[in-house]
Amino acid sequence: MSNFTADTYQNEFLPTGGTEVNAVVTVTSSGGGSTRPGAEIVILDTSLSMGVPSAKLSAAILATATAIDCIRDGVMFAVISGSTDARIVYPRDGGMAVGSDATRSAARLAVSRLGVDGGTAMGTWLRRAGELFASAPPGARHAILLTDGRNQHETSEQLDEALASVEGCFQCDCRGVGTDWEVGELRRIAQTLLGTVDIVADPRGLADDFRRLTERAMGRATGNVSLRLWTPRGATVTLVRQVAPTIEELTHRGRPVDELSVDYPTGSWGDESRDYHLAIRVSARGLGDEMLAGRVTLIEDGELRGQALVKAIWTEDEQRSTQINREVAHYTGQAELAEAIQDGLEARKAGDCETATIKLGRAVALATASGNASTMKLLAGVVEIDDPVTGTVRLRAGVAEADEMALDTRSTKTVRLGSG
Amino acid sequence: MTACCPSGHASSTTDYCDQCGAPIGAVEVDTSTTTRHDPCPGCSASRSGDDRFCEGCGHDFEAPSAVWEAVVSADRRRSEGQASDLVAFPDVYPERSFRLEVARVQIGRSRPRPGGSVPEIDLAGTPEDQGISHLHALLERQADGSYALRDLGSTNGTTVNDDPTPVGSDAGRPLVDGDRIRLGAWTTVTLRRR
Repeated sequence: MSNFTADTYQNEFLPTGGTEVNAVVTVTSSGGGSTRPGAEIVILDTSLSMGVPSAKLSAAILATATAIDCIRDGVMFAVISGSTDARIVYPRDGGMAVGSDATRSAARLAVSRLGVDGGTAMGTWLRRAGELFASAPPGARHAILLTDGRNQHETSEQLDEALASVEGCFQCDCRGVGTDWEVGELRRIAQTLLGTVDIVADPRGLADDFRRLTERAMGRATGNVSLRLWTPRGATVTLVRQVAPTIEELTHRGRPVDELSVDYPTGSWGDESRDYHLAIRVSARGLGDEMLAGRVTLIEDGELRGQALVKAIWTEDEQRSTQINREVAHYTGQAELAEAIQDGLEARKAGDCETATIKLGRAVALATASGNASTMKLLAGVVEIDDPVTGTVRLRAGVAEADEMALDTRSTKTVRLGSG
Repeated sequence: MTACCPSGHASSTTDYCDQCGAPIGAVEVDTSTTTRHDPCPGCSASRSGDDRFCEGCGHDFEAPSAVWEAVVSADRRRSEGQASDLVAFPDVYPERSFRLEVARVQIGRSRPRPGGSVPEIDLAGTPEDQGISHLHALLERQADGSYALRDLGSTNGTTVNDDPTPVGSDAGRPLVDGDRIRLGAWTTVTLRRR
């Protein structure tokens, strides 16, 4: 059972008639010994393209074996091989296996015999994973989906339907190997299933990546955790966004609990810390009045675990009311940075070099100002930087596709204030 | 635990109101030791703890609860000497009785138009006393649960019992059990305590 603490960073002072309340809430979970069994499924793309070159499939098999090795004793697990349909590679009895030396080595053996065949239908793979998880006891449920291509054998609508049917059942980290897959497609899956998306350009990097993902999943000690936001009568929630470690829009993912409270999904937690940017529109009160604009509580399995308060105080003192809180400003910048990168890359793809240069230049300036070094490094692979402070850049000719995709997938990764 | 915020909302949170977000401060009522009371019958304000008197209107919560009733009848004696058709004394006048259940009871005659206000004691309908104004008089509950009478600026005025002095519109005239309110051409409203 984890402990959650939540802290609010905000300027609670509003000018006369002011209605916009902004705050960053940092939620930290700690003390979670893994008391829950949990469940893990690896979904491996075994469509024909995975065999070209053959090193891709063997790297994927090695990575899956590495992930299997990280499965702790007692944790339920399974491996799905995905092509035009979804086949359960291990275990063969239809349910999920319980982690032990014997099951782990049997699973490794079954995976090593995998061959390639057929096409790509990720929605079908996810549905099958959902069915398997449903047979496992409650706890943290996590999947890794590895693919190398586009979801060619399903329509976009079919994928959406499949996603809707498994949303909330399990979390899924998505990995694209090579450069023939589509960032937007995997991002859609990862966002819906509260996971991450990343590129593994070189298949040799897969095993390490799978180890990290599985170990993190094993460290998650909580069940499904919701961020519950109460706001007073007459108030409107205009923004709920996870802003660290990555940007995830949650505004439209809330589920009303009662008239005044909405639950936003956050999945399960290990020992970690995440930041949320909230914006609430309230009705203005009189000068000197104080009001609670929002109450954030963390809910795990229906139980309350820690809370933070977002306040509003109306003042005549302009020096106080005009200040923008540092955390709020910082994360507003980080969100703008991610947007500038995605817009810039899209413009570049569409051949609109002017827009691409402006957007990516803006991204460089924002990354410089916030000290986001890793994003800066990725940007440097796509543009020549003449002046990092003003964001004067030139588009590079002949950018490696992998560099561009890496920038795209990691554009949502943020840095914390002062960490750069 | 529930608390009551400055705006009067009952809140399950004790730091800020769980309805309007106002700070609650020290006003806190622990319902585990105090029984929950109905709001004041006089002014509908919520009763603070076990307070005997209502903070809003001074109603005595512990006074034996009395039920007041207004009985409307026609008084032939009063119509004598009046010849207008409009106020002709009715042949049949069934007695009508109104229980006084709220703190402010208006007496009048509603107009047959949609959205028009309807007084609590509505004397419209046959047989109709045309001498009653649309909003004629007001019965107001006093701290002790009894009622006082005010005229609401009626055309023909309001009197009580055999006192010819019209009831004013500023200060209420306290009424006791059996008082007869005279209004219109021949209408009498008798107050009864049950």
